[in-house]
Amino acid sequence: MDIQTTEVARNPETDDLIETNKQKQQEDEAKESPENRDEEEDELRSQLLSDIGELPLTPPSATQLNFVSYFITDFTKSGHDQYIYRHANGLCVIGLAPTHIAFKDEGGITNIDFNVGKSDRSVLKVSGKRKKNAMRSESNTALCKVSTANDSYIVRCCVKGSLLEVNERLIMQPQLLNSSADREGYIAIIMPRPADWTKNKESLITMEEYKEKKGVSL
Amino acid sequence: MSDEAKPSPGDSPGLSNGLVSDSDRRVYQAARSLHPSAVKDLLSLGVCERCVFRLVSVEPFDFDLSSVSASTLRRWLDSGDDEEAAASSEPSCSRVCIVCLGVLQFVFSDARQTMVRSDCGSDYAARITDLVKQEGHEFDSFGLEVSVPSTVMENESSVLLYLKGKYNSEGWVQSEKIISVKDALKVLVLESLKASLGAKSDSSSFHIRLTYSKASDGAQGASETTHERKKRKTDEENGSTCMSENSFQKVYEPCSLSVHCNKMPIFFSGRYFKYSRNVSQTRWIIDDERMGEASVEELIGGNILPACLGDSYKFHAAGREDIDVRMLGSGRPFLIEVQNARKCPSQQSLTEIEEKINNSEKKLVGVKDLKFIGSQCWAMMREGEAEKQKQYAALVWMARPLEEKDIDSISSLKELKILQKTPVRVLHRRSPLERERTIHWMKVEKMKGSSNYFLLHLCTQAGTYIKEFVHGDLGRTSPSMGSILGCRAEIIQLDVTDVKMGDS
Repeated sequence: MDIQTTEVARNPETDDLIETNKQKQQEDEAKESPENRDEEEDELRSQLLSDIGELPLTPPSATQLNFVSYFITDFTKSGHDQYIYRHANGLCVIGLAPTHIAFKDEGGITNIDFNVGKSDRSVLKVSGKRKKNAMRSESNTALCKVSTANDSYIVRCCVKGSLLEVNERLIMQPQLLNSSADREGYIAIIMPRPADWTKNKESLITMEEYKEKKGVSL
Repeated sequence: MSDEAKPSPGDSPGLSNGLVSDSDRRVYQAARSLHPSAVKDLLSLGVCERCVFRLVSVEPFDFDLSSVSASTLRRWLDSGDDEEAAASSEPSCSRVCIVCLGVLQFVFSDARQTMVRSDCGSDYAARITDLVKQEGHEFDSFGLEVSVPSTVMENESSVLLYLKGKYNSEGWVQSEKIISVKDALKVLVLESLKASLGAKSDSSSFHIRLTYSKASDGAQGASETTHERKKRKTDEENGSTCMSENSFQKVYEPCSLSVHCNKMPIFFSGRYFKYSRNVSQTRWIIDDERMGEASVEELIGGNILPACLGDSYKFHAAGREDIDVRMLGSGRPFLIEVQNARKCPSQQSLTEIEEKINNSEKKLVGVKDLKFIGSQCWAMMREGEAEKQKQYAALVWMARPLEEKDIDSISSLKELKILQKTPVRVLHRRSPLERERTIHWMKVEKMKGSSNYFLLHLCTQAGTYIKEFVHGDLGRTSPSMGSILGCRAEIIQLDVTDVKMGDS
């Protein structure tokens, strides 16, 4: 596999001249380091390039590679479909699934409010490795309220665990939910305990089951 | 010992050949100067000869005592009444001192529960030397450490209490200047040990530890049982302060001795390369299963440890990379710390180890500049930590074709500040923080054959998460490659191409 460099095209004649000059310089100075450095750089380049395999048109995304996708449909209310992307380290990223009823409203989601339930979820301050001060949530604990032109909908945790973070960027940019609900438009990150997750998992469905159920192709 | 030819007049140590050495004479005279009834008292209680010297003598306890055997000392200590002395004393070899429990009598039981006796300091030193040699260390200097059971101190206190009670009126009992059993043993044997080991003594990196522990029968010796202590306390309250002779139990078994040698850790430094995308930096095992094919730590440490004949090793590296990231370029500095090395491999053997690793069939890992390093090793690791810059080459995919303007906009970004929230993939074990980092420069290399892929060369501040900078980590790293290009970007693979360390 060849690599095109971004350097200006080289003139073969001047190239030769440059080469002989360089050699002379090296002989004159009898310095080893520039030569070695060139050699090392060449070796590095060949190492970098020789390791590149196939380049598929669309490689799997970071989310697909590192997370296992689960879904929950009609959670507490019809049409409330959410995704739960679980990382190998146990953390769960929660967000709105593409078939969520909010997306059906004209104009999509216009606003999001984290001040639901007893506290404003966007001001929680979790600190330290032990995740002190994280809010302990049940699966039906309210996370936020998303509003469209017509209506507003409550989004819930779906997973029992510690609420580590909510995506406060959504407050200023609620349109992220419309454009990329499965990436930049995620809603929250929750850390469940292993025992809680095992129980929770039973109420979730896989990507394949979700596609079938909702008749969508993702 | 230097022998003098003439016997001295008057008091004579009474050696069979009539010859007397200076040091022996000093000891003899010191022995005869001790308070005779106190000496007789203590000896009959079961205190050993050298402890008697320690507790009662005004002369400093020193090396001269080392060469005098216990039986000779006994003779010199006994008062002139030979018959009485001979009749009343049991053969001293069957009695263990109630204070030092055999430590200063050069008696102990070894690992096989066999009783080992030595007459004098040099004999004892020879036995210790044998035990030390079994451990196989190479050394030219050592530090000697002795540890004795705590009951020895209690025994001593009890005996002193008894002496004070009986002889305090005479005013010669001094408990402040008494040398401890530990220090006394060191004084007696250090010189002989130095000679038989052929080494100097200093607070060096190699320690010989003699650990005495109580015999299993639990004989305490002179120290009081709880019952006796309570009785004594009530006696004191009632006005009587005497410690009776009957409260001292006899001891029949000496302590058991174990000899341990320990060398302070030694360090080796070098730079390593990681050529495989399936090798972790350190041993990584989850649920009894190893992650990855091997680890850099084991491939390097596992080759150095046998050459040092050490107990174990620790691996320290200046930073780390993921299991699927290669370490190329000039390599990453590392240290191998070896615990209790028996020998220090020569530079020649280190070079051979380096070649062995580099020429191995699988070529998973490479090593450069492997050498022994002294106490400056940590400074080397810390060097330039704040200014450490790292260089990478990342294979990036983008959702739309790469254009010239993209290349320009990327290369023009110098000292770009980014904010990274703790990546989701490490958020379970790190604090949720927002970290500001700098991307010093970036360079784009087009890929022939695909305009959706390119090779991104970048130089960043230490501590930057490169993968998250490329794909944005759900928008938690900003700006990211994706936000700069205005489309989705993914990282396919990553290589570290340089770890800058200060001047190297």
